[in-house]
Amino acid sequence: MLGFLSARQAGLDDPLRLRRAESTRRVLSLKLNPDRDVERIHGNGINAIDIDAAEGRYMLSGGADGVIVIYDLDNHSGKQQYTCKAVRTVGSRHVHRFSVESVQWYPYDTGMFVSSSFDKTMKVWDTETLKPAEVFEFEGNVYSHHLSPIARKHSLIAVGTKNPKIQLCDLKSGSRIHVLQGHRAEVLSVRWSPRYEYILATASADSKVNVWDVRRASGSLFTLDQHNGEKSKASSQAVNTAHNGRVNGLCFTSDGLFLLTTGTDDRMRLWNSANGENTLVNYGKVCNESRKRLQFTVSRGCSPEFVFVPCGSSVAVYALHTGKLVTMLRGHYNNVDCCEFHPDYQGAASLPAGNPAFQDNWSSDED
Amino acid sequence: MELSQRERLSQLVEELSTSGQPQLDQQKVKELKKICRVSSDCIDHVYHSVMSQLSQDHAEIRLSAFQIASELFGRSHHFRTLLVDNFQEFLELTVETDVEQPLPPPKEVARKLRSLAIQTIQSWQSSYGSAYKKLDLGYHFLRQVKKVDFQDAEARTVSERRREEERQRRMERIYKARVEAAAKDMEESYQDMEAALTEMESCMKLLFPDFGLSDLHAVSGRPAGDEEPCCSSGLNRQDPDGRPDPRDKSGSERGPSGGDAERSHAERSHGDKRSGGERSNAERSHAERSGAEQDHRDKRSGGEREEDQGGAAGEEEEGGTKAEMEEDGERAEESSEEEDDEDSFIRNSGLISHTYSLDVSLSPVLRVKETEDNEAVVSTVMELHRLISTKHLPAVQGWVQVFTKSHAEPQLLRRALSLRRSLEAALQKHQELHIDCKTRVRRVMKASSDGEEEDDDDEFEEVPEKEGYEPHIPEHLRAEYGLDPSPSTSTAALTPKKAPASRPPAPPLPSTSSSSSRQLKRLIEEEQDPTCAAATLRVLRQKIPLLAESSSSSSTAGPASCQSGSEQKAAEAPVVPFGLDLYYWGQEQPNAGKIIKSASQHQFWVPAEVEEEVENQDLLAQSKSRFISFPGSFVPVSHFCRAPLGNGTLCQRQDRVKCPFHGPIIPRDQEGRPCREEDRRREEQEERRKREQEPDWRDGDLMRDIEAATGEDLGSSRVGGKKRKGKKKKYPNLSDLKQSSNTSRSRLEKKVFNKSTMRRVAQVLSKADSRKHDKFSNQFNYALN
Repeated sequence: MLGFLSARQAGLDDPLRLRRAESTRRVLSLKLNPDRDVERIHGNGINAIDIDAAEGRYMLSGGADGVIVIYDLDNHSGKQQYTCKAVRTVGSRHVHRFSVESVQWYPYDTGMFVSSSFDKTMKVWDTETLKPAEVFEFEGNVYSHHLSPIARKHSLIAVGTKNPKIQLCDLKSGSRIHVLQGHRAEVLSVRWSPRYEYILATASADSKVNVWDVRRASGSLFTLDQHNGEKSKASSQAVNTAHNGRVNGLCFTSDGLFLLTTGTDDRMRLWNSANGENTLVNYGKVCNESRKRLQFTVSRGCSPEFVFVPCGSSVAVYALHTGKLVTMLRGHYNNVDCCEFHPDYQGAASLPAGNPAFQDNWSSDED
Repeated sequence: MELSQRERLSQLVEELSTSGQPQLDQQKVKELKKICRVSSDCIDHVYHSVMSQLSQDHAEIRLSAFQIASELFGRSHHFRTLLVDNFQEFLELTVETDVEQPLPPPKEVARKLRSLAIQTIQSWQSSYGSAYKKLDLGYHFLRQVKKVDFQDAEARTVSERRREEERQRRMERIYKARVEAAAKDMEESYQDMEAALTEMESCMKLLFPDFGLSDLHAVSGRPAGDEEPCCSSGLNRQDPDGRPDPRDKSGSERGPSGGDAERSHAERSHGDKRSGGERSNAERSHAERSGAEQDHRDKRSGGEREEDQGGAAGEEEEGGTKAEMEEDGERAEESSEEEDDEDSFIRNSGLISHTYSLDVSLSPVLRVKETEDNEAVVSTVMELHRLISTKHLPAVQGWVQVFTKSHAEPQLLRRALSLRRSLEAALQKHQELHIDCKTRVRRVMKASSDGEEEDDDDEFEEVPEKEGYEPHIPEHLRAEYGLDPSPSTSTAALTPKKAPASRPPAPPLPSTSSSSSRQLKRLIEEEQDPTCAAATLRVLRQKIPLLAESSSSSSTAGPASCQSGSEQKAAEAPVVPFGLDLYYWGQEQPNAGKIIKSASQHQFWVPAEVEEEVENQDLLAQSKSRFISFPGSFVPVSHFCRAPLGNGTLCQRQDRVKCPFHGPIIPRDQEGRPCREEDRRREEQEERRKREQEPDWRDGDLMRDIEAATGEDLGSSRVGGKKRKGKKKKYPNLSDLKQSSNTSRSRLEKKVFNKSTMRRVAQVLSKADSRKHDKFSNQFNYALN
């Protein structure tokens, strides 16, 4: 660390180097933060969390009781011991009636966030007033939605519902403008590529993962095939499947070059997002019994990247490209549904060893 | 860490955790701590062994392991970190956080473990919670997600508590309903009980009036009154009654007769003997009445005498003494008449000598004898007693129970208790009275006849009690019974005539004459009484016929004896049913044993020559002989099997030839050993063979299980001595979990759901099915399945 610092001071090193080395070190020594605590608001389990990309300060959480809470993660008290305060709580008139399935900040601003719920609605909230600015209603339960983190030319929200058709909602017009057809069962997870703003990946219960270019209306770009086209040709089944069960987790790497999927066949697969090729990395058994979306994440800015996957009551950390199990983060007492990685908790003064960017000291327990 | 330390640690942990005790052995714990102090490696090792013991499927092991962990948790930081790191698993194993992994049996210990774990975790949290983040999280998880109430001593979860409350509420409701029902019941039957109690009370008073001292004085002061004459006045009084003496004498001429009353009875019973011209019926009844009066007066005077002599005898119960007095009076009276009729003093006073010593025996307990006078009262008391003891008292007891159980208002309870007390007091009093009652059924019958007695119109005859079979039916009654006037000869022919059974020395049976039951009873009583004239009469009567009989038998000795000899023969000869052999007795039967086949009667068709007569030896024999099966007479078996039994005694079976357990019965000595040499040898051989092939039910394991369950020695140690060594239980101190699983159900299941059995059954079923298919496959309803 000190060597890296002095080299950086001398200008010998690329700034990225220090950053990478430090991040990697911290991820590897990740453990429960004894000083940081999060205020307990939710009475039931927590289905989704999101940390705002603009400041990295506020965290959204959606609970199974329909409540959405905004936390302030920054510690300005000057003491080591800190409990993250709940800044605002959406629990009144406009609250979701059923369990909140996914929440997401607007990528460029904390003035707005989007939540979707099993009450068949997706709400766009104004953070200031905590009132829904827009409500989209659907025919079925909403499993997942996603806003493209890099989109500059569009402001589309992809929504996966019980309906196999993927809905695209436009924030500009406040209407559903597009439907993507191709799945045969409910869509459990949708993700925009962080590299190309029109590329969308969707995972469905029919064990298929489709990659779309939303500019093309005719159909998906390709469907991920776990056998890379070898076996499916032989077995006269033209259907390409990504997993042997429901595919309920979907995550791009931070550079957008790779796509990770998890399925209920207890597997996790890494795909080349450019051509949809299975990279055949073996992660071993990744316990996964969720019937809903599984929110997992990939580290950002480490030199070998890491995957954080909820696995029973603990979170498994894998090396992305080797598939090696690095560690199991054990701190929860019940099933973990979601985890999020804090990309830039860097202030050396405020951070003790063992970066809790990994929001794990939260008891996101499902009862 | 040295290997020896390691081994010692493992051994200590295992010993501690498998001790099966609710508390740890402090000595061993100390040793464990001492070793642990050496290095953190030791702690590591202990931690792992404790965790492995915690995951055993036995609550006692887990409890002990948990106790070890809590001992070390307070001592070692390293142990704390290790444990807290794996706190999820620890909670699952001790507090049952995972529904899928319930705590193992036995249940009691599991509950104890759970509550202990929850308490311990709370104390850990309060002392180490701030330092160990995960411990804190775990504590909050228990409190908020699992909703464990740490204040609750029972350490129950919410659902358990709710269930408990629910149960309590339900019980309360039930109790309330019960109390209401009982209170209502009590309201309703309170009146009845009160009435029964008062009735009982007054009946008691009637039966046994309270004699105070004042009463006694009143009685003893009364002699001046003419109603209650004293001894002397009784003498005077008797004079007018003594006047019909001549008539008495005429009665006494016929035989020694006692008091008037007895005599009149005797007259009635021997109505035929009576020289009846002298007196009219009216006269007799008058005499009877006067006799009764006298009797009564005698009694009274006797009673007076007694009271005079006994002094404080007034305390004595009236009815009880009455009987004795009666006896005394009668005895005195009778003796006087027997001694000397002329002696007027004796006659008048009824006393033979002037120096009588009268012994009055007072029974220490009260005794109420049932008489005609108090009969109604006694029966009422009996009924009340029955009512109270069978109905009221159980009901009240039930109420008291209900009230105490459900904490009803003390008022109700008090009332029920007082009711119970009074009922019990009444019962107690009844018991103290010792009411001497006869069988009720008879009383009731008599009561009805008592009513008739007054008018005496001969409508109903008193028939003596008969217990089904009547050994003797009087001659004059035969017609009534629908029998021939004389005993039928047919029966006599079959059964050799016996000498007529001597009649039982019963009192002369009352004939058709209308004698009341009361008189009858009196008569019988008097005859039992050796002091009565009636008894003497009976003795005399018995003597006379005896004399006559003996004389007659001696005179006709010769013919009688020979006659009896032939009779004896006839009796010995067997009676056989009539048959064909008797029919042709002594005759030659030409056709016997021959089967005659008739030739065909057909017109055209003639059969081949047939032998028309076939001799059959069997048939011949049948017509000439007769089978008489002779079963012999039953001789009870007097010998015992006497084979030695396992418990040291000898077999007590009395089989004639062969004991079902010990084979043919052979002579044996005192210890049950066979007397003969070859028997002994054979028995030893048998023993050896039996020992070699133990029957499967004497399987050692099974027997041990049964022994463990019943606590009785079935001799499993004898059976499988060799096997036992290898299968010694590993931890004898732990309670056996398999014991409960070895039930009859499980054993049956093992048999019924055996793989081969299932296969066999399935085969049979499928065969039946396929047969159906073969036969009816063209019919749609069979073709479908």
